[in-house]
Amino acid sequence: MIRSIEFRAMNTTVMLAAEGELAMEGMQATKLYIDECEQRFSRFLPASEVSDLNRSAGEWLSISADLMEMLQLSVKYHKQTNGIFDPTILADLKRVGYDRSMDEIRTNGVTDGSLASNRRSLSSFTEINLDPTNRRVLLPRGMEIDLGGIAKGWIVEKAAHLLRQYVDVCGVSAGGDILFIGQPSDGMDWDVYLEDPRDPTQMLAQLHIPCGAVATSSVMKRSWTHAEVLRHHLIDPRTGEPAETDWLSVTIICPNIIEADVYAKALLIGGWQEALKLLQTNSSATFIAVHSTGNLISSTNYKDYMYEPATDIFLSTGIAS
Amino acid sequence: MKLLKFGLRFWITVTSILSFLTGWIMLAHAPKPSSTSSGSSTVTTPLPTLEPLRPLSDFAPNDNNVQNQPTFGFQSQNQSRPSRPFFSTGGS
Repeated sequence: MIRSIEFRAMNTTVMLAAEGELAMEGMQATKLYIDECEQRFSRFLPASEVSDLNRSAGEWLSISADLMEMLQLSVKYHKQTNGIFDPTILADLKRVGYDRSMDEIRTNGVTDGSLASNRRSLSSFTEINLDPTNRRVLLPRGMEIDLGGIAKGWIVEKAAHLLRQYVDVCGVSAGGDILFIGQPSDGMDWDVYLEDPRDPTQMLAQLHIPCGAVATSSVMKRSWTHAEVLRHHLIDPRTGEPAETDWLSVTIICPNIIEADVYAKALLIGGWQEALKLLQTNSSATFIAVHSTGNLISSTNYKDYMYEPATDIFLSTGIAS
Repeated sequence: MKLLKFGLRFWITVTSILSFLTGWIMLAHAPKPSSTSSGSSTVTTPLPTLEPLRPLSDFAPNDNNVQNQPTFGFQSQNQSRPSRPFFSTGGS
């Protein structure tokens, strides 16, 4: 029997599921680990490692092995996505209103002070200096980074592997970024429902995942209105503004949750052009995008993971299925 | 010839009556069939219980702001595997 627990962390809903005698014990340990990670990597907490890093710009700072790993992965994906995945958009995020946690913004709205902030410095993320041997980092002066685009995937991966030490079969989901390890004993795949971004209580399709990762980015979830303009948290680093896209959400299915998390954002921001480029370089990834009309756009191999969708589906070749 | 015909008719009549009486007696003495409720060794199989049918309204598209695209609710799909946790993905 698969047991599960659900709780709130990282301003989203986290769900753990596990099958085995030590399932509950493992999930309690995993919950503690996720709570601890939030304390370490949230940019909204002044005592976090990320806040320390942002205050240190212009000076070398000793950091933990985990933060070093996250920064190295960020550099890798920054290059792989031609700069579309960019942790240096923090100043832009604050300027468009995302200067406090989303739970606070949902309760109190945005403040005018944050909207008046300046745009970020023009330093590129490639100018960050990493010294893995001595575990030190040097941010260029004026640079602030936000690891929100990668931290959740990284935490899900580590949490799932921690839970795996207690059971053979488990799944960890943080706001829909999900990693499954092992197939349930009944031999059936894991079921994942693809939410309709226009109404999350409805679903557009049912996915079946044997094991591996699923991640979705949406312009609808972390969004707010200011001066009658709808803003969201996915900043296009080429403009410094929330990405303008016809796609409401992008879901990536691939073996690696960090890659799925990063690619989902890159495809949503970059659109068709980036989707085709990324899929050429990574043939193991499947993407499903939801267009503003409600139609689905997908890689040709979507049938490996999806039962019959409730709406029309257009393949990346442009042919309706 | 007449005598032969009379003898044949007499023989057929007598054998028919005797056969009828023999059958009657055999049936009258045959064991009666046992009642279904009285047999202690009878194995009874419980009848299957059927879930009530879902109302047709469950299948109707929702009248909301979703531009008439067909969608279907989470719950009705999840009923197929009630022991499974409910995972969904839609961004955070």
